[in-house]
Amino acid sequence: MSESGQPSPSHRSEAAMDTFSIEIDSDTAALKAVRQAVEGFAARCGCDERACDDIGLCLNEALANVIRHAYKGFGGRPIALTAGAEGDRFVMRLRDWGSGVNPEAVRRPPKEQDLLTPGGLGLICLHRLMTEVKYEPQGDGMLLTMARMKCSAPSDAAKEST
Amino acid sequence: MSELTTGTDLLASARMDKARLVVAVRGDIDMNNSPELRRAALDLIDVQKPSKLVMNLSDVSYMDSSAIAVLVELLRRMGRAKERMALTNLQPRVKGLLEIARLNTIFEVAADEADALK
Repeated sequence: MSESGQPSPSHRSEAAMDTFSIEIDSDTAALKAVRQAVEGFAARCGCDERACDDIGLCLNEALANVIRHAYKGFGGRPIALTAGAEGDRFVMRLRDWGSGVNPEAVRRPPKEQDLLTPGGLGLICLHRLMTEVKYEPQGDGMLLTMARMKCSAPSDAAKEST
Repeated sequence: MSELTTGTDLLASARMDKARLVVAVRGDIDMNNSPELRRAALDLIDVQKPSKLVMNLSDVSYMDSSAIAVLVELLRRMGRAKERMALTNLQPRVKGLLEIARLNTIFEVAADEADALK
């Protein structure tokens, strides 16, 4: 972290036994590697295959929303991710220093007609596949917390949006 | 049947089968490379003017919402008619995302290319 409190625009990661943390640039080229790293970490934390798939997809969509909306497509801006098991849940916290606009305030709750609008399907994935989705404005950006049970039957994973 | 040049590694192959365009997509498709897939597929459609687009997704193990948006745009370019665009050989994660998006009914989903070309 820099003295300003923002992570430096680098690709540093650290995976302890129970916590994964990484600081990346707002670069779409990083999406696949970060998704795969977190899917692998989630599996090592005891998440089942369905959970790992959901976690990877939702992380991908959340990162894409940060790049597309919070940073308006600009690269080289910081994003900090921490993830890990907390009891029987797998929790991800995504911090950005962008516009601070809560996507849910713009489009809440996700509706069927939003499926084909930019960002609409991503938000729907978050709400259908995560058991917790919480946006918390930070004054200089946004903190998104997403959580999901580590193990569940497929039917349990597809939580309907409310 | 004629093989076509695609101009992108994301399209493993492309060919015309009678008036139908058959493309095989490969790799994970996300926000980083979905614009490349979009451009390549739209170029083929604009030049070939196929009566039907068949996309073989057997080598696509992962797609995100930006890739789904590309598929929807291609469907629109094909005239929005379900019978004019088929997706084949869907892997579980891709099939699951289409179901989450509730878009599995707007595309023709076929088991394989032969099924889509019947």
